[in-house]
Amino acid sequence: MKELSLNILDIVENSVKAGAALTEISVVEEGDTLTLTITDDGCGMTEEVLKSVTDPFYTTRTTRKVGMGIPLLKLEAELTGGELNIVSRHITEHPLDHGTTVTAVFMKNHIDFTPLGDLVSTIITLIQGHPDTDFRFVHKTEKFEVVLDTRQLREVLEGVPLNTYEVIKWIEEYIKDQYIN
Amino acid sequence: MTVKELAETDIFSPVTLPCGGREISGVYIGDLLSWVMGRASSGQAWITIMSNVNILAVASLADTSCIILAEGVTLEQEIIDTAREKEINILKSEKSIYDIAVFLSKII
Repeated sequence: MKELSLNILDIVENSVKAGAALTEISVVEEGDTLTLTITDDGCGMTEEVLKSVTDPFYTTRTTRKVGMGIPLLKLEAELTGGELNIVSRHITEHPLDHGTTVTAVFMKNHIDFTPLGDLVSTIITLIQGHPDTDFRFVHKTEKFEVVLDTRQLREVLEGVPLNTYEVIKWIEEYIKDQYIN
Repeated sequence: MTVKELAETDIFSPVTLPCGGREISGVYIGDLLSWVMGRASSGQAWITIMSNVNILAVASLADTSCIILAEGVTLEQEIIDTAREKEINILKSEKSIYDIAVFLSKII
């Protein structure tokens, strides 16, 4: 996709659809590499599904016969000399610790590296669209570390929905401030 | 013009032609697959230099009449087999994307 943040939106939608209560999105930049990790506690995938998930003709949607989120992320990682890995524990075999982790490693200095894009808007869009789901977002580089955890916000908000306009605006400023400082 | 007729012109050769009778309604050019997926329309011939298996899915989703591999790009045998199985027309050409587009503008 044109920006990595759009890929993140796409992949996290899978986590929400898998019934995740908490989805962790982490972007870690270290030297030449950028590692994107999306971990959820959703229902997970069976081994059979896991095998076919990088196949562009596989999808969990019934409306179309191909699902492109994972295949495109894989392609984009590989275009930079990186790679994509998925680990999943299905709820039937792991009733207590099920979920999926998608890890994509990019070589940041490769000419085909997709720009990161607007991560703040991506996180805001996710919270707005799924106010009852928790997200933990971390963006760590050698210069800064940005963290947002909606579970902590919920404690303070005492029942005020996360997608309330004022709350969303506050979250946006809160993340942006961390980037500046 | 049909895909088969296009495949018979000088600058193209067929890679797969399972539905050669499909009419070409126009042309789309692009290599960023997510972009092409949302913008190419049904019946268009799609010119690209990408050779990953994902191009088949994009062509299938956008319902393009054929994929045109430009600039001498080749596909792995496995991808060619999948294209036949999914009934996706693929032509190839040694010409540049620009030359192909100029050529198509004269005959379509």
